[in-house]
Formats: sequence, structure tokens, C-alpha cells
Amino acid sequence: MGRWPSSRTWVLGIAVLSFVVCCVLPVASLFLEILHRPAAITSELLLDARRRGLLSNTVVLGLGAALGASLIGIPLGVLLGRVAFPAKGLIRIALAAPAFIPPYVMALAWVYLANGFTLMNRDVASGWIHSLPAAVIVLALVFYPLSMLATEVAIRRVDGRLEEAGLTVARPGQVLLRITLPLVAPVTLAAALLIFVMAISEFGVPGLLRVRVYTTEVFTAFAALYDVARAVVLTLPLLALCAIVAAAAAALLGDRVVASRRTISIQPRLAERWRTPGILFALLIIAGALVAPLLVLGEQAAGADSLAAVLAGSTSAIANSLVLAAVGATLVVAVAIWLGYFRARTSHGGHAADIIFLVLFAIPSTVLGVGLIGLWNKPGLPGAVYDSSSMFVIGYLARFVPVAALILAASTRYVPLAHEEAAAVGGAHWMRTVSRIVLPQMRLGIAAVWLVVFVLAFGELGVSILVAPPGEATLPIRIYTMIANTPPSHVAVFALLQTAIVLIGVAALGILASSLRIR
Amino acid sequence: MTPLLSLTHVAKRLGSHQAVDDVSFDVANGEAVAILGPSGSGKTTLLRLIAGLDTPDRGEISIDGVRVAADGRSIVPPYERRIGFVFQDLALWPHMTVQQQLEFVLGSLKVARSVWRARINDALTLVRIEHLASRYPHQLSGGEQQRAALARTLAGQPRLILLDEPLASLDSELRAHLRQELASLQRSLAVTSVYVTHDRDDAAVIADRVLSMRAGTLVTI
Repeated sequence: MGRWPSSRTWVLGIAVLSFVVCCVLPVASLFLEILHRPAAITSELLLDARRRGLLSNTVVLGLGAALGASLIGIPLGVLLGRVAFPAKGLIRIALAAPAFIPPYVMALAWVYLANGFTLMNRDVASGWIHSLPAAVIVLALVFYPLSMLATEVAIRRVDGRLEEAGLTVARPGQVLLRITLPLVAPVTLAAALLIFVMAISEFGVPGLLRVRVYTTEVFTAFAALYDVARAVVLTLPLLALCAIVAAAAAALLGDRVVASRRTISIQPRLAERWRTPGILFALLIIAGALVAPLLVLGEQAAGADSLAAVLAGSTSAIANSLVLAAVGATLVVAVAIWLGYFRARTSHGGHAADIIFLVLFAIPSTVLGVGLIGLWNKPGLPGAVYDSSSMFVIGYLARFVPVAALILAASTRYVPLAHEEAAAVGGAHWMRTVSRIVLPQMRLGIAAVWLVVFVLAFGELGVSILVAPPGEATLPIRIYTMIANTPPSHVAVFALLQTAIVLIGVAALGILASSLRIR
Repeated sequence: MTPLLSLTHVAKRLGSHQAVDDVSFDVANGEAVAILGPSGSGKTTLLRLIAGLDTPDRGEISIDGVRVAADGRSIVPPYERRIGFVFQDLALWPHMTVQQQLEFVLGSLKVARSVWRARINDALTLVRIEHLASRYPHQLSGGEQQRAALARTLAGQPRLILLDEPLASLDSELRAHLRQELASLQRSLAVTSVYVTHDRDDAAVIADRVLSMRAGTLVTI
């Protein structure tokens, strides 16, 4: 007689099925669609001058953003990881905040800033802002927190005794350059690769700054020219580039993707000499990447006649965004907890799972949007789903389950396996062990992931703008479509509103992070 | 004659724990001293204070007649004290080969490049691992790692070597073997050393003089 599957099998099965349907099938269906168009593939692979320009812009955007973000982020990571100074927690939150503000909001602020910038009564920046170098700078200022946080976490994990062994013969600066930084190099390089992927996947910034890259071309082909076939084939080079670079990042990181070694107590202060210039640099970055854009948006918003009049007609989009982001974050966490748990506790194929998660996370939002449309825009039940606002939530699941699973896998590893084994030996079955022993110890990590996903979903544009059913809109879609035909003051009000909600989330994350450290 | 190392009323508190309490002793030039004591008795903290990795709250530390720490502050930074330190877990840098580790030490001490090869060969030959120069730490056995850490320390030709239970992680057979090697190396080089251990056999074989430490204080000299 066959045995009824255990609760563990059921949970794993449902989690994997959800993951496959939401995250894998859209990409797989896109591949199948591409394979059905061999002629189009051939023509796309024969790079003419136009396509070469597109590819070169995309690569330069990615490389520039990765380099710029690393040049800003690595010194800041060293500062946060190795220098003691007052109000460090607050400065860390302010430095990390730009990563959570939707990139197109930052780009919008920079457009306003450039339009208002004159030198001896001459407009010198409004033309320049709509250029590739400007897009590189904006994206570097948006993504540097990833490099910063990766460097800080890696540097905190360096065994202080290795540095002390160097300190007996070498100056702190030499130890930092020759021992500490080489040890964290794989992590900083992987962060740079991920920034490269995220920059070439970004749609809002190049779209707003009118820089022609693959993501904007996919959107134009699909939404403006209604050329689905071209949109599908255009995703191929972008898909390949993202997959290769994300896989390289995963390979570089190895098991560090979900490693969770606790901080080692000995942490020599190697960069004390650079304390003052470091703090000044941090304040300069906060001013440039956070304060200046917000002030510009504030100045623009102050020109609006009445806040109520501006918001009238958009309240449903705001409420929609909040509800959808909350539902999306809850479902993403509900699926990712189990994927993360099984990833953390598996000894076989774990690294392959990391690569899959990272590659799927790296899929550009507009590419994923095209894949979702191909999968769900069909007669019958899929069509009914496609015509509803559930598509937004499915889009959030597709975009954020992979990264949430990776973070929750790391969180699971904080719970010693021995705790589970002790419960099992004591007679507790698997579900009881997980729900009573593991999840309670992960509660702060779970709450943090929920907040991160909520903030990201609240600002999501690339997938949402493609899968939005008729008459339905979220706040990011509303802002993006208002830019062309609404006074800047009105757009700025919405952008500020969006930023305010995001910053509340970031502040909550900061408080949670402090609680985690206290534990 | 001025002792090479002199500690006078040295004290260090770590949080609420008095790790080192009013410790005074001298080590003569060329002498090998062992500090024997159980875990948590303050032996490692004492070595870290001598090396300059921590600063004493009270008391004074002098090396070769020069005050290196006094009145709760460090006067001479660790890299200028010309001290070699063999850590308990060896602290071999994982991204460097054995030779690169020695080169880092020589480069940091600003030793002329023309003598690097000779200094590296001498150090590796002394501990009999000249054939392992191009290996990374993870490619070495426990005993070989031990020798590599010692070679790295010897390459800098320090005037004082501090050893923090370097044999603790080895099995008893290898430990006994390396203990003898360390003792003969110590005698042939006549280098001044302070060896911290909880093992009486290690202390008896390696040291000319044994100090005993309990709860942060020296109990017998």
C-alpha cells in the first residue's frame, strides 16, 4: 500500500509548483515563442548598425552603472564596516534609501534639476540629461547601496585575526588593501555584476531619459508599435546577457549567497585614518543621491495649486498600489519561505538553485512582462486572470520570489539544524518543528523580507505597465504616463508621495535591522 | 642589563571581566618564557597587549628599553614593535601562497627586495617547507600550516616572537613532534619568545622559564 505523502512533501510540492508557474513558465514560454521564429532570430542576431548601437548603449549603461556604483559603494562599505562614528545607523539608512526609491522617480528629479540648472543665464544641462552618460550617473546613484551593503556585510565576516596577523608587520592601510579587500573581492565583484544586470534590465530610467537600450526597445515594440513578434525576439540578447552575467555572479559568490556566518568578534579598525574624509564622502553622497532629488521634487510640488485637486482622480491608483503591493509581498513571502527553507537545508543541488534564483531575478522586467502576456493572454481561465488586477500580483511573484527565497534561505541558516533535530528527537513532526521552532526564530527576517518586497512592489513599473488590464493602474504607471502630458508640479506631488511611502518602509526596515542586531 | 621585554603592573579589563590584573615580569634577551594557565586565565589577552593589538588600561610595557604602551595608551603601533605573532588558529591569509605571505611581511617591513629571496629561502628551510612555497593554506596539512605560520613570523626577523598555543589544534603525535622541533629551533636561533599554553609538556620542553597564570594574575614566577 502506498504511503500518503508527508506534510514536508506537500509543502515543498506546492512551493515548487508556485515557483514554476510564476517564475519559470513565463521565461520558458518566451523561449518557446522565440524558437518558433527562427527567421526573426537570424535577423536579430545579424547585428546591423541600429542593433549594434542598441547593444552598445545597453552594455555601456550596464558597465558604467556597475563601475560608478562600485566606486561609490565599496569605500562606503569599508567605512560602515570598519570605522566607528556617531549616528552610523542613521547614516547607513540614509545611504541605503536610494536603492528603494523607484529609479524613475530619481531620474525624474534629475530631469527637473537639470532643467533648472543655468550657468551665466545659459541652459547647460537640460540637453545633457537626456543622454547615456546621464543615465549611467543616475543608475550609479540608485544602485551604489547594493555594492555598499555587500561590501559591508563581507568585510564584517572577514576573520579579524587574519588582519591582526598583518597588523603585526604592516600599517592598517596596507592590511586593508592587501588582506581585507582581496578577501572581500569576490563579493564586491559579484555585486558589480548584479548591478550590471539590474542596470541593463532597468526600464524607467532610460525610458525617461530617452536613451535607447534593449528594455525601452522591447517596450516600444510591444506597447507603441504593437509588434509582439519583434518584442519577443528583441528580448533574446537581453535575456542571454542577463543570464550569463547573473550565473557568473552566482558562481563567484559560491555558497556565500546563502551563507550566514555570524559576525566575528575581533574587528580591527583599519580605516580610522580616513574617518573624517569618509564621513564627509558619505554626507556628500547622501546630499547628491537623496537630499538633492527630494528637494527638487519638493520645490516642483510646491508649485501645485491644491494637493486635493492634484490627487483627485488618482486615489484609486494609490489605494490599488498599496493593496496590491501588500498582497504581493504576502504571497511572495508565503512561497519564498519554503523555497528558502529547502534551499538552506539541502545538501544537493543547492548551488544550482542559487544560480536559477539569481538568473530569474536578473530577467529584465519588460522581458518578464512580455513572457507573462504570452503565458496568460489566452482564452478561458488564463484570459480571465489576464483581464484582472491579479496580473499585477503574478508579476510581483515572478519578479521577487527568487530574490526573497535567497534572502530567506540565508535567514533559515541562522537557525541551527540542531534545534530542528532536537525537536524531531523529542517527537515533533516536521510541520510542528518548522512552525514552532524554525519560523519563530526567523520572524524578524521574514518581516524584513516582507517590507523589502512591499517597497519594491510598490515601485514596480516594468512588468506592471505591460500587464496592466484596461482601466487599472498603479501609482508608478500613473506617474509614468502623467509625465508627458501633466504639469511637472502634479507629477512631482505623486513622485513625492511615492517616495514618502517608500521611505516609511525603509525607516521600518532600519528599525527591524536594529532589532536584529540587538538579538 | 636591560630586559628585552618588561611588563610593569599591566592590567586590562574586557567588559566586566578583569582579564589581566597587575601583571609584572621581564624577559631577557634570548630567553624563552612559557606562560602556563587554563582557558580564560588571560594568557591570550596578555600576548595581545604585548603585540599592541590591545591597549592596557593600566601599567607599562617596554621593549628593548623603549616604552611601547603606558598610561592607558599605545605609544608604538604594533607594526613598529618588531614582534612576530603566531596565532592559535595560525591566521594564514587564504588568498596568498606561502611565499606571498612571506613577501607581504618583507614588503611591509620595507626589507630591500634584493634580499627577499635569501630571507624567504632561509625561513622556509628552517621549518623545512621550502618545497611548499607555491601552495595556498588550504593545500597544506595541519603540520605544514603550522610550519608556514612559523616561517612567516621568522621571515620578518623579529626581536621577540609571541606564540599563542600554536600546537593546540594538532593531534598528540604531531604535537609532540613539532614541540621538539620548536624547542630546537628556539635554541638554535636563540630568539626571545613568549609561549602561551595550557599544556605542561609544551611549557617544559619549549621554555627556559615557566610562569603560571590564574584569573588574570601571575601566581608563581
